[in-house]
Amino acid sequence: MSRLSGPERMPVQPAATGRLHPIRLRPAVPAALLALTLPGVAHAHLVTTGLGPVYDGMSHLFLSPDDLLPALAVGLYAGLRGAAYGRRAIFVLPLAWLAGGIVGLLSSGTAPPSSLTTASFLVMGALVASDARLSLPSFAALAVLLGLLHGTANGASMDTATSEALRALLGISLSLFVLLSLTSAFVLGLKSHAARIAVRVAGSWIMATGILLLGWSLRRKG
Amino acid sequence: MKRPAALWIWMILLAAFGRPVSARAHEVRPGYLELREIGTGLFELSWKAPVAGAATIPLHPVFSGNCSMGLGTAAPAPGALLWHTTLRCKEGLEGTRLTIEGLDAAVTDVLVRVERLDGTSETHLLRPASPQLSFGHARGRAARAGAYLWLGIEHILLGVDHLLFVFGLLLIVGRRWMLVKTITAFTIAHSITLAVATLGYASAPLMPLNASIALSILFLGPEIVRVWRGETSFTIRHPWVIAFAFGLLHGFGFASGLTSMGLPHAEIPLALLLFNVGVEIGQISFLLLILALERSFDVLQISWPRWVHHLPGYLVGSLGAFWTLQRTFLLLEKLR
Repeated sequence: MSRLSGPERMPVQPAATGRLHPIRLRPAVPAALLALTLPGVAHAHLVTTGLGPVYDGMSHLFLSPDDLLPALAVGLYAGLRGAAYGRRAIFVLPLAWLAGGIVGLLSSGTAPPSSLTTASFLVMGALVASDARLSLPSFAALAVLLGLLHGTANGASMDTATSEALRALLGISLSLFVLLSLTSAFVLGLKSHAARIAVRVAGSWIMATGILLLGWSLRRKG
Repeated sequence: MKRPAALWIWMILLAAFGRPVSARAHEVRPGYLELREIGTGLFELSWKAPVAGAATIPLHPVFSGNCSMGLGTAAPAPGALLWHTTLRCKEGLEGTRLTIEGLDAAVTDVLVRVERLDGTSETHLLRPASPQLSFGHARGRAARAGAYLWLGIEHILLGVDHLLFVFGLLLIVGRRWMLVKTITAFTIAHSITLAVATLGYASAPLMPLNASIALSILFLGPEIVRVWRGETSFTIRHPWVIAFAFGLLHGFGFASGLTSMGLPHAEIPLALLLFNVGVEIGQISFLLLILALERSFDVLQISWPRWVHHLPGYLVGSLGAFWTLQRTFLLLEKLR
């Protein structure tokens, strides 16, 4: 091997590896449910865009369906319910996500149980699909909870609490702000009944995705 | 001021660069590694290692297999450190793997080009997400075009001073038709100087150029304040003229992303075209994002506090002033 030497070398991080467990057929649903509620250890890493940690964080949201879909559902629901919900969502969710991310960074890689983040698909998807009336404070509390959960999971998946990790979290929060602003305003602007139905159908798909993910988690943990 | 959305866009930009008070904009350029075959299995190796300000970015080309490098020489070049050496591959270059160590932790790309004795060539763009390649898999024109397109997009996304100038124009221009005229004028102007500089007909020294680009941003600060006060000026009445004039300057700045690599002449037309298209894609995406956000805030009926309305304009002016002073001092220091 031939190497062109130069100034001091940068440390290279080893890539995270993951392996799927074989499917176990014995009925262990109670044990699996218990396992789902236990904290997990995060291994995921942000995608490297080459444009710096903030852009890495921004692209993370759009390349991670498990984070993107619940956030999208929040935007859809806020748009269905009205401008006040939209205004609340675009500030509350990104800030809670950022706060959760910082907590996750400081938690030495301990992520919240995957069942909780998966539940956010179900809850938000169901809300959109049913177009249920939720009071503004309840909606805000739900958004805070969702932000804290997913943010903690994101923060825990990062290696160390460096300034780069913080900037990546900031990138995630900023892209959330943009996503929620655009989504909620778009849905709010929809006038036809059919268009609102289409939004609710999208919510049902998000819920269905949540059910699939939950099933997948049960298979892995069982 | 009409665009509070601008504050958030500015925050994105500010955060994206992490060190907004540095003169970092456009200091990091792509690395360039060229292998020119001068004998069977013997290559002349040129490695332009990009530098960020005074610091060299720790990137190291590593060749696998039976290739060995000779003793090389290093010399400073504008925006880069230039290495020259030879590479001998006993069984040819085909199948040899090149890894740019450190690229996965860097915020730049490396363009790799091989020219063989038989006239064939291959070009690759290595990015932090894919820092290695195997030689011998010649890439088509489309892949090379994609590489230059990405370089253009990357250049504008990391070129916070260019984006800040466009952003300042947005704060001044009220009517949509005038916005179209202004952005078109800026695009035409910077395309002219980008082409002129890349084709080698003219060049602008880097340090005065960066100071002038900063000055163009500072220039917009007082104009934004005039818009708030309901006053008028030549810039407010004819922003497209100012956009065109300063666009000529910014085009030289864009060109530094290509000219610093020293591409072979045959490659320049394709590179120039796609690089410029990439710059436009990045610029238009940025504009559309601001306009979409502005529209969203209207729909959501957000009423921003007064200080939030004024903050983007002050940030444009103060950052323009800071960069102007900083880059001028750096220039004077160099001249001494």
